[in-house]
Amino acid sequence: MLSLHELQVKVLRAVLDGKPDAACGITPPHAVGVYARTARGNFIDSLKSSYPAIQRLVGEEYFEQTARHFHARHPSRSGDLQPAGRDFAHALRELHGEDEFRYLSDVARFEWLVQEALLAADHGPLDLARLAAQAPSRHEELRFKLHPSARLFESPFPCRAIWQANVASDADPAVIDLDGGADRLLMVRTCGQLNFHDLSQGERDFLLELKAGRSLSAAIDCAAGPLPFDPAAALQRFVACGVVVDFQ
Amino acid sequence: MPARAGIGLRAQHHLQVIAESPDVAWFEAHTENYFADGGAHVEALVHIRERYPLSLHGVGLSLGSADEINLPHMQRVRSAMQRFEPTLVSEHLSWISVDGRFANDLLPLPYTDEALRHVSTRISQAQDFLGRQILIENVSSYLQFDCSRMPEWEFLAGVAAESGCGILLDLNNIYVAACNGGYEPLCYLNAIDSGAVQEIHLAGHDRVAIEGVQLLIDTHGSPVCDAVWDLYAAALRRFGDVPTLIEWDTNIPTLEILTAEAAKADRLRADAHALAA
Repeated sequence: MLSLHELQVKVLRAVLDGKPDAACGITPPHAVGVYARTARGNFIDSLKSSYPAIQRLVGEEYFEQTARHFHARHPSRSGDLQPAGRDFAHALRELHGEDEFRYLSDVARFEWLVQEALLAADHGPLDLARLAAQAPSRHEELRFKLHPSARLFESPFPCRAIWQANVASDADPAVIDLDGGADRLLMVRTCGQLNFHDLSQGERDFLLELKAGRSLSAAIDCAAGPLPFDPAAALQRFVACGVVVDFQ
Repeated sequence: MPARAGIGLRAQHHLQVIAESPDVAWFEAHTENYFADGGAHVEALVHIRERYPLSLHGVGLSLGSADEINLPHMQRVRSAMQRFEPTLVSEHLSWISVDGRFANDLLPLPYTDEALRHVSTRISQAQDFLGRQILIENVSSYLQFDCSRMPEWEFLAGVAAESGCGILLDLNNIYVAACNGGYEPLCYLNAIDSGAVQEIHLAGHDRVAIEGVQLLIDTHGSPVCDAVWDLYAAALRRFGDVPTLIEWDTNIPTLEILTAEAAKADRLRADAHALAA
């Protein structure tokens, strides 16, 4: 007789492959198909809830076909299905390479960051009085902390416009020119609202350094490139929009 | 937890529940749906918990898995318990994963001595880790393992006795498994110790034909059927007043339809009291 572990390995393989296996000792053998359909359906439903814009862009039939392919290659690794779609953008990239639908991967990457931002922890605003109390000689050593929901995004395609047009309403979205402008932006959830902020190259580099836990002086050095960058104005902007929330 | 009927909480009803405070005795939420560190759903459940008793019902612990216990998942369940302070915490007599691969569907166990010892040990470990008794729910089943050596009800009663867990008796799951497995659902009820049952679930199912064989599928997407209401009346006679949940997870209806189903369960409980008197 199979041990419990041996039996479960065989049954799980049969469920994920959707094919009965006589070695499982199951009656009726085709009942495995019921579990296979539910397992796949739960997985695809989770992907649909993570990628509503992608589903609308490609249509339900193609989305389900792509999701089944993704499920077969990237089965869930968690008892919580929410993270199951993490690599979906990568799978779309593999699927479409440099063809005319290559933008889908970037839109999916954008949607995943939206979901991460919506599920991140809350945080109150920066304590300005505490910041004002810091000696000016210490300012360059300060390490600023970003809001837990802050996410940085870059793409040669106008992904934010594509995403907004496809999740905002049920009406047919307007035609969007894929060459209509690249995205370089910050998203952050403050007071329950997801906000987007366009960034210059310097601002992006500055925030990346802060997010990595580097000091203010290191972030300023990194952001100073061939284009003008005003660190005081940048810091003021990111405090005002609730992105910089703490320091040490 | 009040011995009245509660309803399963779904995200599409959050705002209505917060705005209207409907007359519902308690809510049950799927634990994994509130694993996030923050955001609108977590915030909504915090508000709802301030006004209603809450049960957290998990689907992802995979307590019947033969591999090592899923400690990261357990830690997240504990964090959810600390945040929402539920009155009841429950999971399933099933497994969803092995060797790090997950089906994310509740698979039945073979009813063997080995599986009974194993899942009882795992439930005890979970209770120690979470610092409280948990309830374990019988799952619906569409198959039997040839290696099973006892009926499901004996297995469930044995697990409860060995691990000290409470029982969450899902009457729709009993009905589905009994119809698919060809046994009498009342046998199941009569084999369970009346003091062990701390919660009852009621839900709907679908009937499908697969390769010419009729199967009942536990979809939680339709009203409770008459046969399951009859089983509920029998359960009230056997187990007395037990908190009862209306579960509806697919084709989710309006909150009013869910509260009407809960009111029907409460009327049946009142009728059972009147008959007993």
